[in-house]
Amino acid sequence: MSHRWHPSTAALATAILLLLFVQGPVAGQTASSTTKRPTAGKGWTTPRTPDGKPDLEGIWTNATLTPLERRKGVGTKEFYTDQEFAELARRVRNGDVGEEADIGAAAPQALRYDLSLYGFDLTKATFASNKRTSLIVGPEGVVPPMLPEAIKRNAEIAAKNKGHEFDGHENRPLQERCILLGQERLPMVASANDNNLLQIVQGPGWVAMLHEINHHTRVIPTDARPHVAPTIRQWQGDSVGRWEGNTLVVDTTNFTGLTVNFRGSGEKLHLVERFTRISNDTILYQFTVDDPTTWARPWTAEIPLTKTEGPVYEWACHEGNTMISNILRGARVAEDEAARKTAK
Amino acid sequence: MPRWFSDSILIRVAVVGFVCLAATSAVGQTPTYRAPRTAGGKPDLNGIWQALNTANWDLQGHAAGAGPVPSLGAVFATPPGLGVVEGDEIPYLPQAAAKKKQNQASWVMLDPEVKCYLPGVPRATYLPYPFQIVQSQNVIMISYEYAGAVRVINMQAPTKAPAESWMGWSNGHWEGDTLVIDVTSQNDETWFDRAGNFHSDALHVVERYTPLGADTLSYEATIEDSKVFSRPWKISMPLYRRVEKNARLLEFRCVEFAEELLYGHLRKKPGN
Amino acid sequence: MRTRLLVPVIGVGLLLAAVPLWAHHAFAAEFDINRPVVLRGTVTKWLVTNPHSWIHIDVKAPDGTVVPWAIEGGSPNSLYRLGFTKESLVPGTEIVVDGFQAKDLSNKAVGKNITLPSGKKLFLGGSAPGANGDGAEEQKR
Repeated sequence: MSHRWHPSTAALATAILLLLFVQGPVAGQTASSTTKRPTAGKGWTTPRTPDGKPDLEGIWTNATLTPLERRKGVGTKEFYTDQEFAELARRVRNGDVGEEADIGAAAPQALRYDLSLYGFDLTKATFASNKRTSLIVGPEGVVPPMLPEAIKRNAEIAAKNKGHEFDGHENRPLQERCILLGQERLPMVASANDNNLLQIVQGPGWVAMLHEINHHTRVIPTDARPHVAPTIRQWQGDSVGRWEGNTLVVDTTNFTGLTVNFRGSGEKLHLVERFTRISNDTILYQFTVDDPTTWARPWTAEIPLTKTEGPVYEWACHEGNTMISNILRGARVAEDEAARKTAK
Repeated sequence: MPRWFSDSILIRVAVVGFVCLAATSAVGQTPTYRAPRTAGGKPDLNGIWQALNTANWDLQGHAAGAGPVPSLGAVFATPPGLGVVEGDEIPYLPQAAAKKKQNQASWVMLDPEVKCYLPGVPRATYLPYPFQIVQSQNVIMISYEYAGAVRVINMQAPTKAPAESWMGWSNGHWEGDTLVIDVTSQNDETWFDRAGNFHSDALHVVERYTPLGADTLSYEATIEDSKVFSRPWKISMPLYRRVEKNARLLEFRCVEFAEELLYGHLRKKPGN
Repeated sequence: MRTRLLVPVIGVGLLLAAVPLWAHHAFAAEFDINRPVVLRGTVTKWLVTNPHSWIHIDVKAPDGTVVPWAIEGGSPNSLYRLGFTKESLVPGTEIVVDGFQAKDLSNKAVGKNITLPSGKKLFLGGSAPGANGDGAEEQKR
C-alpha cells in the first residue's frame, strides 16, 4: 500500500466531518448566498482588536481541492451533501480525484518532483469546508464566457510571443522570472498547495496581508481613501479598504496592462474582496471580479480561509532563481545543436 | 548689600546652574518624549517612515564623488554624507578589510542591491525608500517599498530560525519606549551599503527604535560578526515620518530592471 | 499502490480548475524527458533555498572518477513545517536519484524519485533532526 496511507485516515475524515458541523450555518445557505451576509455559529461573537475593529489576525490557509469552476455533470448544485462530501474526501485519498487523477494517471512518466522531498502530505489536502461544489458561486458555477474583444486582445499578445518563447527572459512567463507568481496573484485563488500561508496583521487604520509565496505584502488602508492616480499601474493593482459591519471590503483597481491579468482580464480589472471572520478558525473570503472589456458580467467566488499554524517563512524567489537561466541555457544548447546538424 | 540678599542670589544661581547642567546632560541622552500608546497599551510606532541620509551609499563619512555611469553625470554621482557609524570606524579584521576594499572597487558588479536582491537588516531601514510599520499585539510587521521586502517581528517568547534567510529572523521586545529587535540567521549575501561593507553568516544585529517626537524615531543598530569584525560597532540615525495625508508604499518590484544584466547574455543569438 | 507523483503543468489549469501545485515552473522547459538519469551519490551540500532547493551530490563513475551533480528540489518551506532544518540532510548521506537531466546538458537533474539506498524515501515520516532523522540513521548502517 502507498506510504501515504496513515492509520489515522479514518480519524482525519471524521475530523473533516466535524469541521463541517461547525461550519453548518454557512453551508446551509442557498444559491446566491453572496447576497446574504455570512452568518456565524450561534453564541459566537466576532473577536475585536484593541482598537475595536473585527479581528482578522493570524495565519491562514486557503488550500483546497475544490475547483474554481464546477465540474461537468454537477449541474446547478452549489453544495454537496454531507455524504457526498465525505465520499469525495475518501476518493481524494485514494488518488481517484484531484490533480493526481486528472494528470498523474494519464501521464505517469511525466516530469515532476519527488513529492516527499517537500514533505507534502496529500492526506492534509481537503475540500472547502463549506462543501461548495465550486469556488464560483451561483447556479452556473463557471467563469462567464469571454467577450470577443478580450479573446482578440489575448490572442494578439500570444501571437507576438509565438515562435519567440525562448528568445530571452522577457519572453518567459512572469512566474519563471519571479516577478509575479500565480500563487501570489490577486484575487487569492486557492490551490491544493498547503504551503502558501497568509498572515494578516492589523494596525490602526491599516490591515496588512503577507502572502508566503514570493513574500507578497499589501498594506491596505481602511479609510476608504481614493485610489492612486490612474497613471500608476501595478502588477497587483492598488488596494483600498473599508469596514462594512464585521466585513473588511477591499477594492482593487489600477492593474497593469503589461500582462494578461486574472483569467484573461485586462487593465480595467476591478476586484472587490470581502473578509468576514465567521468562527475562531475561519474567515470567509469572497471576491467579485468585474471587467467590462473581458466578461459580460461580474462573477463571484467564495473560499474559506482556515486558521493554521505558523510561522510564515521567507520565500525569496528571485534571489535563488535558477529556473530562468537553466531554461534559456537549455534553449541555446538546443539551438547550437540544431545549427551544428544543419551545418553538416 | 545685606547678607540674606547675596545668599539668596547665590542659591538662585546655583539652582539655575544645576538646572542648566541637568538639561544639557538630558538632551544628549534619554529623550523626554513619551509616545502616545496604541489601543493595546504599547508605544505607537505605526506609520510610514524613511531615512534621510546617504548611509546606503556609504555608512562612513564620505565626500561627493563621480558615479559609475558617465552618461548619467551628476544624476547618479555619489552624494556626500556625514556618516552614521559611531566613532566613524568599522573595525574590520585584517583579511576582511582587504575584502571590503575589493568589494568597493567592484561594487557595481558585486552589490546585491544592483541585482534587486533582498537587502537584509539593517540596510533595509536606510535604503532611500519608505517602509511601513504595522503594529499588532503579538507581531509587528515592517513592509519595505524596495523589492517588496518584509519582516514579521515576533513580539512573544523568542523563537529560533529553521534556516538562514535574506531578511533574517527577528525577535522583539519593549524596553520602556524603545522597541528592541534581535536579528539573527541572515545569510552572508547582503551588504551594508554601496561601498562594499559586508558581513558573514555570523551576523548578529540588535536594533533599537525610539520615538523622539510625534514624527521622528531614533534608529540604532549594533552590529556584531566575529568572523569579520574585531568588536561590535554601532550605527545611528533619525527616521522621519512620511506625513503626506495619502502616504502609501507603492510597488517597487525591481526584478525586471535587473534582468538584462543577469540574463542578457543568455539571449538568443541573431541568425540562430 | 504505486507511488503517484503530482505533475506540474502550465496551461492545463483549465482542466484542473484550481491553480496546479507547480504552476510556477515549466519542467519541460528546464529538464529533458528524453534524458532520464539514475544517479547514486553522496551528499556534499544541501542548499535550502526558494524557489528550489538543490541537493549537491558526488557521483562515482564506474572508473572511479567522481562527478558532482546538482539535483533540483522544491521549496523547502513545507519541510521546515515538519521540523526539518538545513542540518537535516547530513553531508555524506548516500542517496539514489531517479530523474531527468537538464536541457542544457549540464550535470543537473530534477529528481522524480529520491530515496536512501534502502529504498526508503528521503524525508519521509516527518521526523525532526536529532529524533530519528532518516539521513543520520541510514548513515550509521
